[in-house]
Amino acid sequence: MGFGRLRVATFSVVCATAPASAATQGVLFEATVSPVCTLTVGDNGLMVASPDLQTLSSKLGGGGAGHVGLATTGGVEISVDPVTAVTVPPADATATTWTPTYALSGSHSVAETGSATQLDDPGSSTVTVHLVGTKSGADSFAAGDYEATVTVRCE
Amino acid sequence: MIPILAAMAALLPATAGGQSMSPMRGEVVSFDDRFAVRVFPGNPYGHRIRIEVKVYDQSFRPVAAEIMPASFMLGADASRPVLVVVPFAGAAERKVRICTESIPFPGQNTQIRAQICGKFLARRL
Repeated sequence: MGFGRLRVATFSVVCATAPASAATQGVLFEATVSPVCTLTVGDNGLMVASPDLQTLSSKLGGGGAGHVGLATTGGVEISVDPVTAVTVPPADATATTWTPTYALSGSHSVAETGSATQLDDPGSSTVTVHLVGTKSGADSFAAGDYEATVTVRCE
Repeated sequence: MIPILAAMAALLPATAGGQSMSPMRGEVVSFDDRFAVRVFPGNPYGHRIRIEVKVYDQSFRPVAAEIMPASFMLGADASRPVLVVVPFAGAAERKVRICTESIPFPGQNTQIRAQICGKFLARRL
C-alpha cells in the first residue's frame, strides 16, 4: 500500500512539472454574401372601370392590387417598368396613359411610388402593385377585355 | 376539414410566376471578343414555371447574345445553369444586365411579370 502511494505521488509530480507546450492559433473564416433577390408572384391584379369610363384602375371598388413576395439579402433595387404590353378591345382606338405603382410592407416599408427604391437591408416584404389607366379629354374606355402586364424588377 | 382545405386551394394563385437568380453581380475578364457568364435562375415555387433569360444594356435595350437555353420550363424548387455569351461589339469594356423573367399566364387583366436582373461588367484584355 505504501509503494502504491509512492507511485501515485511520483506520477503527480511528473505531470505537475512538465513544461506547457500548447499554443493557440486563430483559424480565419471569411465569407462574402452577394446580393440575392427572389420575387414570388402571389396575385395578379384586377382593374375596374370608373362610372365615367375614363379610368380603369385596380384601386377602385371591386378592383384588386397584385401582390409579389420579395426576399433579399439587401443591396438591391426594386422598381416597376412602364407598361408596354397592353391588349385592348378593337373598339378602343384612343390613347391611354398607364401608371403602374408599388408599395412595400414587411421588412421594408415603402410608400406607394412609381420610382425605383434602393433596399439596403435584408428581409422579406410584400410588394403591392397597382395599375391605373386614364383617358384624356372626351375619350373613354370601350366595352371589351383589357389586359396589361406590369413588370416588377429586382436588380 | 376537407371542404375548408378545398376552399383554400381554390384561393391559391394557380397562375403565379416568379423566380430568383444568382449571381446578381459579377466582373469578367476575357481575352476573346466575347465574354461568357453562367447564371443560375431558380424557381421558388412548388410547381413548374416557364422562365426566359434576356440580356439588356444599361438603358434596358436588348443586347444580341447567345443564351443557352433562353427559354425553358423549370421544376419546383429547382435551378439550372444558363450560359450567356455576349460580344464586346468593339468595346474594351461592356456592362450588361442579365435578367431572368417569369412568363405571365393570361387570364386576369393586370398581370405581373417578375424580373430579376444581375449587373455584370466585362473587360477585354
